[in-house]
Amino acid sequence: MTTTTTTPRPGLASRLTALTKVVELGQGRLDQKLLDDATALLQRAGERLKLSPDHTVVALAGGTGSGKSSLFNAISGLELSPTGVRRPTTGRTHACVWGLEGSAPLLDWLRVQSRHRFSRVSALDKGDTQLNGLILLDLPDHDSIRALADTEADRLIGQADLVVWVLDPQKYADASTHRRYVTELAGHDAVTVFALNQADKLATEELAELLIDLNDLLRREGVEHPSVVPTSPVTGRGIESLKSVIATAVARRRAAIQKLEADLHRLEQRIAEVMPLGEALSAPSAVDEARRMGLTDALCDAVGVPAVGDALENVYAERSARWVGWPYPRWAGRFRADPLKSLRLDDVRQEIRGITTGSVSAQSAEVANAVHALADGLSMSMHPVWRTAVHRAARSKAKQLPKALTEDLAEVAPRLDRVPGWWWALKVWQYVLVAMFLAGVVWLAAGLLVPGSLPPSLELLGDSATLPWVGLMMASVLGLGALSGIASRNFVELGASRERERLEREMRRRVAAVSATMVVEPVERELTRHHAFYTALRDLSS
Amino acid sequence: MNTAMDDGQPESPGEQTLSFPPVRDDDDTFDAFTPAGDTRKSPQPHTPKQRAPEPRPSEPRASEEPRAAEEPRAFGEPRAFGESGAAEEPRVSEASGAPGDGRAPEEAREPLPKRSGTRPGRVARDNPGEPADHLDFFTPRTPVTPPTSRPEPKAPAPTGPAPAATPAAVPAPTDAPAPADAPLSTDAPGPAVVAAPTATGGPSLFTKPASPSAPLTDEPPADPEPPADPEPPADQEQPPAFGDETPSDTEQPATAATDAGETEPELTSDAPAADPSPADPSPADPPTDEPEPRAEAGDPDETPQEKPASATPADESTPDGESTLDEDPPPADTDTDTGAETNTDTETGTGAASPQDGGDPPRAEALPPELVEALTTALDQLRESVADVRLGLDLPGVKEARQARLDLLAQLDDYVLPRVRTSTAPALIVVAGSTGAGKSTLVNSLAERNVSRTGIRRPTTGTPVLVCHPDDREWFAEGELLGTLQRLDQPTPGPIVPTGAGAGAGIGAGIGAGAGTGGPGTGMNGLVLVSTEKLPQGVALLDTPDIDSVVEEHHEIAHRMLDAADLWIFVTTAARYADAPAWSLLKLAKERGARLAIVLSRVQRKSVDVVLKHFVRMLTEYGMGEIDRFVIHESTVTDGRLPDSEVTDLRLWLAELSVDEERRAQAVRETLNGVLNSFRIRVPALAKHLEAQVAFRAELRKDVEAAFFGALSDIDKAAKSGSLLHGEVLARWQEFAGSGDLMRSLQLRRRGRSARQAPERVIAFKAAIRAGLESVIVAAANRATEEVVARWRHRAELGGKLGERLDRPSDDFVRNAGRAIASWQDHLSELVRTEGVAKRSVSKVVSFDPDSLSLIFTVAMFSGANGEGVPHRLVNALLGAESLRGIGAKALSDLRARISMLFDEEAMRYVQALDSAGVPDESVATRLYQAAYNLEVAR
Repeated sequence: MTTTTTTPRPGLASRLTALTKVVELGQGRLDQKLLDDATALLQRAGERLKLSPDHTVVALAGGTGSGKSSLFNAISGLELSPTGVRRPTTGRTHACVWGLEGSAPLLDWLRVQSRHRFSRVSALDKGDTQLNGLILLDLPDHDSIRALADTEADRLIGQADLVVWVLDPQKYADASTHRRYVTELAGHDAVTVFALNQADKLATEELAELLIDLNDLLRREGVEHPSVVPTSPVTGRGIESLKSVIATAVARRRAAIQKLEADLHRLEQRIAEVMPLGEALSAPSAVDEARRMGLTDALCDAVGVPAVGDALENVYAERSARWVGWPYPRWAGRFRADPLKSLRLDDVRQEIRGITTGSVSAQSAEVANAVHALADGLSMSMHPVWRTAVHRAARSKAKQLPKALTEDLAEVAPRLDRVPGWWWALKVWQYVLVAMFLAGVVWLAAGLLVPGSLPPSLELLGDSATLPWVGLMMASVLGLGALSGIASRNFVELGASRERERLEREMRRRVAAVSATMVVEPVERELTRHHAFYTALRDLSS
Repeated sequence: MNTAMDDGQPESPGEQTLSFPPVRDDDDTFDAFTPAGDTRKSPQPHTPKQRAPEPRPSEPRASEEPRAAEEPRAFGEPRAFGESGAAEEPRVSEASGAPGDGRAPEEAREPLPKRSGTRPGRVARDNPGEPADHLDFFTPRTPVTPPTSRPEPKAPAPTGPAPAATPAAVPAPTDAPAPADAPLSTDAPGPAVVAAPTATGGPSLFTKPASPSAPLTDEPPADPEPPADPEPPADQEQPPAFGDETPSDTEQPATAATDAGETEPELTSDAPAADPSPADPSPADPPTDEPEPRAEAGDPDETPQEKPASATPADESTPDGESTLDEDPPPADTDTDTGAETNTDTETGTGAASPQDGGDPPRAEALPPELVEALTTALDQLRESVADVRLGLDLPGVKEARQARLDLLAQLDDYVLPRVRTSTAPALIVVAGSTGAGKSTLVNSLAERNVSRTGIRRPTTGTPVLVCHPDDREWFAEGELLGTLQRLDQPTPGPIVPTGAGAGAGIGAGIGAGAGTGGPGTGMNGLVLVSTEKLPQGVALLDTPDIDSVVEEHHEIAHRMLDAADLWIFVTTAARYADAPAWSLLKLAKERGARLAIVLSRVQRKSVDVVLKHFVRMLTEYGMGEIDRFVIHESTVTDGRLPDSEVTDLRLWLAELSVDEERRAQAVRETLNGVLNSFRIRVPALAKHLEAQVAFRAELRKDVEAAFFGALSDIDKAAKSGSLLHGEVLARWQEFAGSGDLMRSLQLRRRGRSARQAPERVIAFKAAIRAGLESVIVAAANRATEEVVARWRHRAELGGKLGERLDRPSDDFVRNAGRAIASWQDHLSELVRTEGVAKRSVSKVVSFDPDSLSLIFTVAMFSGANGEGVPHRLVNALLGAESLRGIGAKALSDLRARISMLFDEEAMRYVQALDSAGVPDESVATRLYQAAYNLEVAR
């Protein structure tokens, strides 16, 4: 009846390893109860696998009065566990061992008191050789008022390799059995047997009806292939078939592993309910280039890199006029009324000039938004718990980030009031031109006003024939000044835009470097963890 | 301009949402964002709202302890409750006290009349504990006897009356009286003292009085004394009784008394016959007190006592409970207030009814009309309040609370209201228990007809089956009791298939009909009504689904039936009597004060002693040792019925109930009172849960408010600290100033040069400011939303669920924020244009570009420097300090208002999420308390 074929699954060991990883990576991400259960399962698996693989622990579980102890005695053939009419009867677990050798640590692990341990030496009764390696447990009930304060039955149902659920015609549909245990049995077919005890209380036809009903019920509860054995310790009916079911399991020595596999399966389902694998593995496991670029762009905006560039160009262009421009219009401007002067704010002009000495700085709100956007984009498809984790990782250094950016960029930030050397040269050149123009003026004046009174050494000045040439020179000096003003201004602008390019490149590089260490790195750690977690989950279920 | 501002201002969107009041215009400083002062002020408006809810919770808490507050305001006063609560326990205390007083039994009798009854009851209860040793237990007759025993004190006089009173019982074959008498008789033989104790035990009747077995007889003498004592003290004690809780100790002595009773070994049905004769004497006594009634209910005994005192013999004929009530009536209004005495009397629950009953001393079958009216009004009010309760939030425990609410409603409709209106209706006895315990078989056997399907499949019965006498049929068919259930002729699933469990007959049919057994929902709204003459008049049996099978609907139906029951028969088996569900049901019965009888079936003859002994010990441990018990042996079930001999006792018990109207009425009233008493706890519990929901909701809302308020002050801080002037804004400002645009924006007044296209750089500067402000707002909103969700998640699982999709600002928040800032900027330049005209001296010489000036103005606002720096000096010089302040304050409050509006909209989403989960109405909780109080008053 126990012919449940278990499809071979990847090694239990690798799945346990995967579970270990899930537990490790799931700390703080998975429900604590689930983690605790998983840890308990890992521990139980570790302990059970270390203990005698030659023994199979079979537990008789059921409600009070279903006849667990009677069945226990019937199988062992001895009156080992007291039976009675008082409810509940059995308060402590009894154990009977076929083939004592090596069973003691296992029984210790099961915490069966030594005075409740019995052994059958299989050599003495031939019939039972097939049961060699069996540890049969008679559990206390799980549904009486006594059991409310006693979790022994619960514990042993978890620890046993094979559980025989002892039901009886009166209680077989009790919610206390089904809701608490049977519905949790999905996938445990191979390591669960149902014994319909006290079959002698029913007529044959009734028994048949009841078996059908029980099978239906169990299927409804999720037990796919229930194996039900009607038994009766009174008449001895069914005891042999139950024994043979047990014997098969004992002989295969697989029950312990199957039980752990089934438990693993169950746990894995529970985890999957909370965090379904779904598309989780397709979520990014690293911050790709496009996202890095996006972050850098956003951070550059936060620092105002483009604006700094604009300022560089415009301010240089404006200021260069004073240095390299044609001086005449500038001088002319002096004579215009100054609004500041009329407001008696003369000194403000100096201060305004001071403004341009300010340095670069990052605006923290924009920095925060940039980081937020990155985390948002990365975790969009993730489970909320992981989403929160990614956000937290991204923000982990948010406080220092603006400051770090500001400090780092301050090193390369241009001083807008800087004066390059060639501006000086051009300024001198312009003044030279001005001087030449003035010289021309003098010459002209001398030639026109005092032609004859000049000393002979300066006669040339008075030569009226030179006058047109002087006028021509003055005109060309003026033109040269204007032209060189325009040309050098173009040079300034060219230089500024080149400097701007260089500056922006440098700033971006620095921004990218800072964001890589302060944002991308922690985020990627979390992404890797996310990926590893779901990989382990996949390994666990495959 | 002003108008414009007003519009922009606050209009904080939401009535419900948190409003962030705009900063007041205090403005001395231009830096306007005086965050500290303003922020504080703004919050205040909210706080009042938040606080308002708090006070309530406190009230409720106070009320909790008291259970149902006596006075509406009284919630806080424990006293009232104490009284009521005490009422339940007094019995024990009295018993305990009794020993000390120790008067001679005989003496005791005299005093007893007044209170003796009460004590006996308690004693009797105590006794049960010990009886465990004996096996007699279950003889039903015991109940009868106990009453008589009580009466004893009075007995001397009443003896004559007793017979008269008993008439009802008489019809019931000798058996009935016999059992009761039996114990007494046995006692009688013993020392006088002994008799007294037994008598005391008698009142409790249902308890094991009968059980007294020989073994204990030795003890009896000793026991008697204690009982005797109790009685005398009882009179005096009444007041103290409430407080005392010594009961446990006293119980043991009591048990001893019962042991004395034991002398009459198994009182099994056979025994009764013999006993009757001896019993008579004792019964005689009770009659004076109205023995029978007492017999029915242990509690009634107390009332009898009073009667004797005041009512005296005259009342005797009338039912005890009622007569007693007569005395009580005066205090009626304040049952609890009346004092210990009344309370003790009322213990059983009759208290409420008693006062009114007093009015009808002669034949107090029905409740007096005024009382009915008062009760009905109070109950209607209660029902309405309960119906109004909405528990929308999935807080832990809400499932239970919702169920409790439905239960309350169903019980009010199905049982309490009909019962109050027609208290004389036949008693409804609900047979409940585990699946496979044999409930249907028992009902079939009693009805001598296969009215309810039996079978080996579990669970078997899905639809409740009501069996009654044909004369009562009409009442059940059309009455209001369980009026919401549809009357059926047959269980919906299919024909009744009697399947002899033992005989094996009809199995095939059973299989065929199997689908019907547990079909979920089949029995939810139906009730099969069957009449048979085999059942005595005045009692109806209701076969219910199980309480512990895999079909959860069954549990629900069963509990609903139990809520409507006048008496419970709890059926369990030898294999199940230790099951946890069974005991939780017994506990419930005890809590509800329901009249209860226990049937232990499927007991193998050979193990009957052991099992019974053990079971009785367990019952005693749980304080239910005195409950009527019946044993049914494991026997062949033929055609769905037990052999007649197995149910004789039960049949007798039913017959007694049927014949003895007084006793029945009392039982009915007792259970009704028990139910009404249970409202003292259940209604406030419901109200408490409702308040928890209200409080939870208030907390969540507070979280939202706090988070967004925090966001707003973050923005203030950013504005004040100048952190806004970083990044792009700073660069643009440098560009603006360095490129000469700043100077260019100031022009000497010259004709025709005013209108100038804003240069590209000014536009970029403006955009940068907008982006900067926007990012500050968005960042604050991001933080706020995350904080709300985190706080909610931290508070409860439900909070996490509600906030699931709300962990970021709404999709168009960024857009809205940008728009709000842009319009604020426009508003600001408009302000500068219109209000900034000031300073004539300036305007004569200098013209300025309002757009640029408003930008400078903004920089000045957010620069954080206190009236220092270029922008400040510039605007100050241009506009003059006064208009500067005016514009600054207006601009600032306008900005705040716009941001508040944005945040209000965001906060709305959370409020909506909360609302979508259901809005609990806090006034309902108050109404619930009020209704519970009114009910107490009406009683």
